Amino acid sequence: MKTQTYTLNLGPQHPSTHGVFQIVLELDGETVVKATPVPGYLHRGIEKLAEARTYAQVIPYTDRMDYMAGMLMNWGYVAAVEKLMGIEVPERAEYIRVIVGELSRIASHLIATGAYAGDIGGLTGFIYTFRDREDILDMLEMISGSRMTFSYFRIGGVAEDFPAEFFPAVKKFIEKFPSCCDEYDGLITGNEIFQVRTKKVGVITPEAAINYSLSGPVLRGSGINYDMRKARPYSVYDRFDFEVPLGCNGDCFDRYRIRILEMRQSLRIVEQALEQLPEGPIMAKVPKVLKPPAGDAYAEIESSKGLFGAYVVSDGSPKPYRVHFRRPSFINLGYLGKLCEGWKIADVIAILGSIDIVLGEVDC
Amino acid sequence: MFGKGLIKGLEITWGWLFRKKVTVEYPDKKIVMSPRYHGRFELDQDKCIACGLCANACPNKVIQLEKTKLGKKQILLKYVMRIEYCLFCGYCVEACNKDALKFSSVIDMNQYFRDKVRLTLVDRPAPTPEEIAAAEAEEAAKAAAAQAAAAKAKAKGEEG
Ligand code: SF4
Ligand code: SF4
Repeated sequence: MKTQTYTLNLGPQHPSTHGVFQIVLELDGETVVKATPVPGYLHRGIEKLAEARTYAQVIPYTDRMDYMAGMLMNWGYVAAVEKLMGIEVPERAEYIRVIVGELSRIASHLIATGAYAGDIGGLTGFIYTFRDREDILDMLEMISGSRMTFSYFRIGGVAEDFPAEFFPAVKKFIEKFPSCCDEYDGLITGNEIFQVRTKKVGVITPEAAINYSLSGPVLRGSGINYDMRKARPYSVYDRFDFEVPLGCNGDCFDRYRIRILEMRQSLRIVEQALEQLPEGPIMAKVPKVLKPPAGDAYAEIESSKGLFGAYVVSDGSPKPYRVHFRRPSFINLGYLGKLCEGWKIADVIAILGSIDIVLGEVDC
Repeated sequence: MFGKGLIKGLEITWGWLFRKKVTVEYPDKKIVMSPRYHGRFELDQDKCIACGLCANACPNKVIQLEKTKLGKKQILLKYVMRIEYCLFCGYCVEACNKDALKFSSVIDMNQYFRDKVRLTLVDRPAPTPEEIAAAEAEEAAKAAAAQAAAAKAKAKGEEG
């Protein structure tokens, strides 16, 4: 009998693609012969918009990249401008950045974890992680006034100090969150159906991970110990005691599992940072109109999805000449096509979910 | 044993069935927003000096204001925010050093039609020529009074 492959468009309007993302699948029965990711549906031209804004005015746009962890996006950009201008950030501001950054990381990993459970077919897990993410959003709302697009970082520090009501809230959260992680482990990780669907599926070898420049939990899932916070500590990360969880098989399960372990470590960092939180100013002395000297600077941070970098070129005017963002989701997506080959359609969803992309960041 | 994990999961979900609810029935019950919440904008007309700092700080040119002179003072005629372009970043509120522009905790700003989204905070008629004249006269009178007072003080000083 003569058979032929056929083409299936997965997305851009499909809940499993986590946003407006399309994969063109060439299928032999249910098996993927070729997968071609088509990003770009959410392109807003943030890099171009930045050229028509002052340096400070770019910050709200960075929120709109990885809106699951807006604080971390702010951070990458302000770090680059601070590097360009040689601004020394006050210590208290650095600690505040670490605290809100790690809380953001937890919020982002909560979505990744819950949405992944939903992708595999267990929507209950999704509701549990969202319940706890609300607590984080409440805290970040107390601090910055917004729940997702914070615009809280400023070049040279942060916008406002912690309000008094934040401290009891975060204390309560630190106390209860480990038991929440246990709940996810019990509800999702330990579930046999979930394990069968994810273990040994979509294996990324360490060599491929490095060759494709993958980063974040996707890289560490393959057992490569590279976390910016440890490898090249920025800000005050060298002062905290935490571990970098690693996977051993590089499969979907490892990538998923690492995120839960990372949340536990992030919580440790928040706890330590709150203990060590020094007194002092939260803003460096910066001029009202920022005019960095002509030149360029590149700064990187470890965001929840991987290495987030910002490259800023200045021509000495109050507006950036060129801004470029290295978005980890986009680069991690580069391997998706190869990764899906040979797997069934249902596995494509499992693989895509395990990479944890957010389209705001992929398309920028 | 296969299925142990499934039973553990069921234990967790059933455990929650008898605990307190974590959700609220939204329209009937509302969560209180935190004091810094970025809700709908509020403008205190009397505090605003129509300096335009807020409009300058805005990344998206959301704020459009029209002003006019009343005597020596600038007054606002119109203050319109094109909320459909607003990022709710708070730069405008941060820029206002007269404490005139503020966030409230109103969250429901949604409208059925796009043109209704626009937020008009001030819209008043331009002052009539009489009003302008009155303001100028008042200012002139004030200036004259001040001058007289200064002259008096000076004279007093010379006396003493
Ligand atoms: S919140 Fe931001 S975008 Fe909105 S009006 Fe104020 S400065 Fe403009
Ligand atoms: S609201 Fe504040 S910043 Fe804006 S024009 Fe009025 S006084 Fe100036």
